[in-house]
Amino acid sequence: MKLTQLFAAMVTLTTAGTAIAQPAFDAAPPDRSVVQDAAIREAAYLARVNEVLNWRASGATVKTDDPGNLGLAAVACKLALGEDLEDCSLSVIEVMKDPGTGPFWMFPNVCVAFLGRDHLTDEAKAAIRETWRTTRQLRGDTENHWVMYYASLFLMSELYPNEPGESWYNGLTSEENLAESKAFLIDWMDMTTKIGQGEFNTTHYIGEYAIPMLFLASWSEDAEMKQRGKMMLDWLFAELANVTLNGVMRGPNSRTDEGSVIERWNALASYFSWILFGNTPPTKGYGGWGVYFATVAKNYQVPEVIYRLATDRGDDFVQRDRARIRRRWRYSEELSPPVHKTQYMRRDYAVGSTTGGQLDPIQAHAWDVTWDEPDPRGKHPTMFSLHPNSSSRAMQMSFTAYPEPWIKGVTNEGKPSYDSPDKIVGSSPFEQVFQDLDTVIALYDIPEGTRFPHINGFFSKDLVNLTEDQSGWIFAQGGRSYLAYRPLAGYHWIPYLHYTGGWAKEKLPVGGQLLTSPHLQNGTIVQAASVDEFASFEAFQDAIRALPLEFNLEPVPMVKMTTLRGKQVSFTYGEAPIVNDEAIDYAKWKLFEGPHLNAEIDGRKMTITHGRLQRVLDFNTLTISDAVK
Amino acid sequence: MTPLKTFLTLITLMASTTFSTAAPEYDFYICAKVNRDYVIGSKVETVNGVFQRTDEGAWVHQGYNDTTLTAVAFDPRDRNVIYTSANNGLWRSLDGGKHWRICNDWDMTEARHVAVDPNAPDHVYLSLPDGIAVSTDRAQTLVRRENGLPERGKYTQLVTIDRTQAGRAFAGCEVGIYLTENGADSWRRVLETTDIVNDIQQSPHDPDHWLATTQSAGAWSSRDGGLTWSPIEGVPRAHSLYNVTFDMTNPDRLAIGSWGLGVLTSEDGGKTWQDRNTGLPEPQRVWRVGVDPSGRLYASVHTQTLFYSDDFGRTWQPDTLKGSLVNYFVTMPKSKQ
Repeated sequence: MKLTQLFAAMVTLTTAGTAIAQPAFDAAPPDRSVVQDAAIREAAYLARVNEVLNWRASGATVKTDDPGNLGLAAVACKLALGEDLEDCSLSVIEVMKDPGTGPFWMFPNVCVAFLGRDHLTDEAKAAIRETWRTTRQLRGDTENHWVMYYASLFLMSELYPNEPGESWYNGLTSEENLAESKAFLIDWMDMTTKIGQGEFNTTHYIGEYAIPMLFLASWSEDAEMKQRGKMMLDWLFAELANVTLNGVMRGPNSRTDEGSVIERWNALASYFSWILFGNTPPTKGYGGWGVYFATVAKNYQVPEVIYRLATDRGDDFVQRDRARIRRRWRYSEELSPPVHKTQYMRRDYAVGSTTGGQLDPIQAHAWDVTWDEPDPRGKHPTMFSLHPNSSSRAMQMSFTAYPEPWIKGVTNEGKPSYDSPDKIVGSSPFEQVFQDLDTVIALYDIPEGTRFPHINGFFSKDLVNLTEDQSGWIFAQGGRSYLAYRPLAGYHWIPYLHYTGGWAKEKLPVGGQLLTSPHLQNGTIVQAASVDEFASFEAFQDAIRALPLEFNLEPVPMVKMTTLRGKQVSFTYGEAPIVNDEAIDYAKWKLFEGPHLNAEIDGRKMTITHGRLQRVLDFNTLTISDAVK
Repeated sequence: MTPLKTFLTLITLMASTTFSTAAPEYDFYICAKVNRDYVIGSKVETVNGVFQRTDEGAWVHQGYNDTTLTAVAFDPRDRNVIYTSANNGLWRSLDGGKHWRICNDWDMTEARHVAVDPNAPDHVYLSLPDGIAVSTDRAQTLVRRENGLPERGKYTQLVTIDRTQAGRAFAGCEVGIYLTENGADSWRRVLETTDIVNDIQQSPHDPDHWLATTQSAGAWSSRDGGLTWSPIEGVPRAHSLYNVTFDMTNPDRLAIGSWGLGVLTSEDGGKTWQDRNTGLPEPQRVWRVGVDPSGRLYASVHTQTLFYSDDFGRTWQPDTLKGSLVNYFVTMPKSKQ
């Protein structure tokens, strides 16, 4: 860290009590240089934590005639700071009169309950406790719901041990709740460390995992669960660090949304990059839920090996990982099919993909090429294509609802674009993707009669020098990256219209356009390169035009080409891709494989490496081992 | 028909006869969601869950406020023992709904239906998106009992108990109807379907007469106690058939609720079917139909409310439970408690 950074951190710490702005959000993007000194790193981390706490605590005021207006997030921050404790108690009593249901209510409630153990009045604590007797809490229906639900229930059962079933909303005793919650959490950790998460690389839901794990690590009285919480934080953040470029998550997501797919920085994941690594600005309002992480963030700090993984990039690298598709109840031969992911990370850009197909039924993002922007705020640094699949049957696979109201219903539940032909979020069973380094080939074989029988390619407002070349390639420059996009069938352009939020009702122009190709057999090839690799943009174009390329669309799409990196690639829809005469065997892929993260399938062990630093998370022995090689 | 079945049928018919000339001897319940657009995490704004209809026609809420109830069942020996299936799984109350206990572990979720065996009332069947769990001790413990169900395709929408024989039940699954005759120790398929079986009902008049509806594979009928099934030709397959019901006051009257077809009724035991949507809001999106002990037909219309008809669908009136979406209708012999 430079002296100016340290000074800024100290200023933030010393002025914390009066700050009401959101300094890091409003300021210039942070310096990306690696902070070598551990003490300075820690001071900067705590400064960021305090920035969050002070912003949220100061941003709300208590009206004496309406103490309930604070809200739990502000109460949690004030409790963490030890200020306005009397108002906190009044607010808690008021809020608890109208409790919510489900995990998104439970974990803030737990946060306040634990932070307030020594600060809240007996009446306030009793009000919290009473809600856990009177209000039925729903467990939800997704992986993040269950993790939040059971981590919350586990901790509250520890906080109130030896209490009878009548004192809990679910009729179980404290000990029964503890056992039930622990069993689920261990099973989830087992599954995650053996075959991966169903909700992998989520742009927002990472908070719904990280925050409960931090709570466990901070407050559990069970040494095993405390250790597990800490280890899962390392696991989650190591993966986050590895899929970010300068703090911004790249590549595929099991779940994301319209905003994060195009403005890649605008995701809760960026908040975690900011608070943990300090290498990108935080999102507005610190991501909302991120505030709860800050309330106990002082209990955890990423180890140096993960910090460097996020910030100290040298060579380009390829990471190949496996995850899984969320549980499919029906209409599927497999309960939770594997997902194979590839990420190629370079200084100026990243290329990431799954192998396509039906991923998460609603909010998946299968692949992209993204480039670095010095200030990522407001930028749309990404290029990709997709089939805008809209299918109640796909949703029925993973949900128990009846199909007919589903499509309309889901658009009212924070996924407004789901049934839009011009959407840019979602996976499709009719898409197959292959990636080799910075070459992506996406092929589409869409059956007749499919709703939305076309594909969409996203072209950002931030591309420059967009050129439709007579060769059939479309060339452009994004940041310090040259990009070449080859549509395999005819197309036309339409303006890109955007839902500005999950609950938005109307679409607005935010710049950019969609390449819409109304052909059932279809495909996209994307090549990327750094501007440093070519003498000029024209030289890049010449190189792309010179690449040997054959393709057919019937009977099924097929591409045979030599990539910019000299690989002989052949990819036919429905068949294994072939590189230099060798077929890719995805069955052999490990859970994590690359220069930085490695883990075997079923291993329950991850090795995190950066330079000479190494950390091993071993869930078989519940040990964390550090080494300097 | 076995002697036992014959006896029970006579009892039922006698009850029906009595029923038609005297005050109903049955209680009528629904599981309803009133809260619109509820999503996990939002506040529950209205009362939802189990409602009992009073003799005066009002709906009285019972038990917890839960937006996710899919079915309710009672111990026939003790009306205070109540089971509900819901998002969290199986809930049980032993004191008439004052206190509840979740009965399943974390690995059972999003329960679709619950049923109690009237001839073995300690036996409770829980239908799950990944199979079937059974309790033999009033849901104190639950064990998966899926021997004979396919590894994939065992999404179970409901289990319906044969009231004439302990341990005999039908499961409506993704790939067909499965029968157990030994309390779920084993299951065998008695009807293969191309899509999920949404409902299976036993006639209150003839225990050998069963009806089933499916997601996209039409409606089916059995006249031999569910051993063999025939398609009901008069019911189109083009739309989802959510449920089917008998009229306990009239053996010829049947009704089906459908997304797209709305309300279909038959008044000749299923030979012919009529569209009965005049007076109901369009489009024809009927979530469930039910018939109460007096023969009043109900239709729960999606995004609208509950409607009733006293002329079996010829005319409709909105019910007093405004904005409700009914997941389940159930009729029980009137509680003596």
